[in-house]
Amino acid sequence: MATVNIQNIQKNYGAVKVIHGIDIDIADGEFVVLVGPSGCGKSTLLRMIAGLEEVSGGEIHIGSREVSNMPARDRDIAMVFQNYALYPHMTVADNMGFALKLKKVPAAEIQTKVKRAASILGLEALLDRYPKQLSGGQRQRVAMGRAIVRDPQVFLFDEPLSNLDAKLRVQMRGEIKTMHQRIGTTTVYVTHDQVEAMTMADKIVVLHGGFIEQIGAPLELYDRPANVFVAGFIGSPAMNFIDGRVEEGVFRTTRGLILPLPQAVAEKMGGRDLVYGIRPEHIRASTHGIEGRVTLVEGTGSEIFTRLDADGEDIACLFRERFDIRFGDTVFIEIDPSKVHLFDKQTGRRI
Amino acid sequence: MASVSIENSVADAKQKRSRPSRLAPNYWPFVLPALLVVSAVIVFPWVFTLWMSVNSWTLGQPRTFIGFANYVRLAQDMRFWESLWHTATYTALSVVLPLFFGTLAALIFDAKFPFRGLLRGVFVMPMMATPVAVALVWTMMFHPQLGVLNYLLSFLGIGPQEWIYNQFTVIPSLVLVETWQWTPLVMLIVLGGLAAVPREPYESAEIDGANAWQKFRYLTMPMIAPFLMIAVIIRSIDAIKSFDIIYAMTQGGPGTASETINIYLYNTAFAYYDIGYGSAMAVVFFFIIIALSFVLLMVRQRANWSDMETK
Repeated sequence: MATVNIQNIQKNYGAVKVIHGIDIDIADGEFVVLVGPSGCGKSTLLRMIAGLEEVSGGEIHIGSREVSNMPARDRDIAMVFQNYALYPHMTVADNMGFALKLKKVPAAEIQTKVKRAASILGLEALLDRYPKQLSGGQRQRVAMGRAIVRDPQVFLFDEPLSNLDAKLRVQMRGEIKTMHQRIGTTTVYVTHDQVEAMTMADKIVVLHGGFIEQIGAPLELYDRPANVFVAGFIGSPAMNFIDGRVEEGVFRTTRGLILPLPQAVAEKMGGRDLVYGIRPEHIRASTHGIEGRVTLVEGTGSEIFTRLDADGEDIACLFRERFDIRFGDTVFIEIDPSKVHLFDKQTGRRI
Repeated sequence: MASVSIENSVADAKQKRSRPSRLAPNYWPFVLPALLVVSAVIVFPWVFTLWMSVNSWTLGQPRTFIGFANYVRLAQDMRFWESLWHTATYTALSVVLPLFFGTLAALIFDAKFPFRGLLRGVFVMPMMATPVAVALVWTMMFHPQLGVLNYLLSFLGIGPQEWIYNQFTVIPSLVLVETWQWTPLVMLIVLGGLAAVPREPYESAEIDGANAWQKFRYLTMPMIAPFLMIAVIIRSIDAIKSFDIIYAMTQGGPGTASETINIYLYNTAFAYYDIGYGSAMAVVFFFIIIALSFVLLMVRQRANWSDMETK
């Protein structure tokens, strides 16, 4: 196990700059998730930590070693790839023991380590099979097993669950987290799925356009997003954003709808143009309050997701209660002022 | 209603499956042309050869049934064993050398460098030439006094060689021609294999600690093994039945130094007109090729990691 320190790391492809001087400190044994939309640079950053991409500027430290220009094989890391990257001509056991074989570890010791990793991942019965004879989930486990047997200082995961179906993804998510809790190795995990990030991470790094938008614990990002991007990215369904101005103790949207604000905020922000943010799950159905016409209803059994047209504003709501509401119905909603997030309209930063 | 119709259709299907044996005779007119052609060009010559091999028949003389006498004569014929050895040597070298150089060329042409496409085109040109033309050109090049090869060797301080005119160098010289002409074929096959090899395992191997040689040894070679096996099969079958280049260049000489089974068989049947003995030779040669093909297919099956079926 080791710490990972990323200092002012940069990556250019010719004249195109894809990572603009990023700093991240990862503690020993921490599970850090790099999350962001496609093209934000999260996989590139991970590959730079792995040594599969050259660093254009800055430094990467693993433990006390500066590894920025060190070949991947000398970094003492293990990586699980999105497409598993198993050796197709080797059996599961050979796949898992390959790194040890290269290190000239005695065959008996390789066998012991492979069997131990296989028992952790439930792969004992598959050790003689070839990757082509395995299901997606089993292949993913083999990829993880290959990482475990190495007993590396850092685990790197590059969107490892993206090729799995929804059910298996949830299962494997749990297994990876359990494995981390059991082994305790420092882990850097890349995903574009904010649910994966929220459920697995000790710390989340939200990336956007090659910059860090926010670093923090999952609930910190959920409760106090640093800006509009993080607020919109973290949380599902996404937060509602409504443009408007604070006037006379309330928030008046550009279309004239009046929304509640905490008293203290309303007094301080009077006359400012802001973006009003409220999460769909923080809106309650009521018998009074804001009136809206239902434009969409999606029931999942445990909750109802609806979109309302309230004086021209599109508001997404997530109700845990069961209602018989349909397209075109008129409903009333209430917003808890303490759950409201306000952002500066120009900079997008949280106020 | 729906379930009833499904049951009916299942019953229909079962009935249809049981019908072909009764209806089969009606299909004969469709099969007959192919059957006639196959019988005429494959079955008849093969059965006729088998029949000839148990007869003594020299053209212009009466045929007599002699049982396995031709095969007994073959077993005692030193010239036959010698030709068998020549065939084995010639085949082994004509497989191994193109395989080695073809793989090397494929690895080079798989890398990116300027004019790669043009050079690749030039490299495959020998493959397009006809064997007899190739044989004529190389015969001139091999000429001890006038050939360009001895001229080139003189620059290296090496004295003139006799090439195809010496009993010890004739087979290596013929193999040189075979290698020159068929290395490009192996290169193309292996190049196709390299293009089909997945790239991701190389990144895994990099992280697992493999250096360039270990990546080649443990990843590239096993992953292109099925393609190498295809090249081995094609080359082996081509080389073992090679006739044109050898006949055009040496006719099996000097003496019988480059006489392979094919050449000996041809000379026996069509120069000495000993059809019965030649036929026995053809039958034995046929079984040698069948045995070789069987072994190669077995090996290929073991090397083919991409054919592992899901259990």
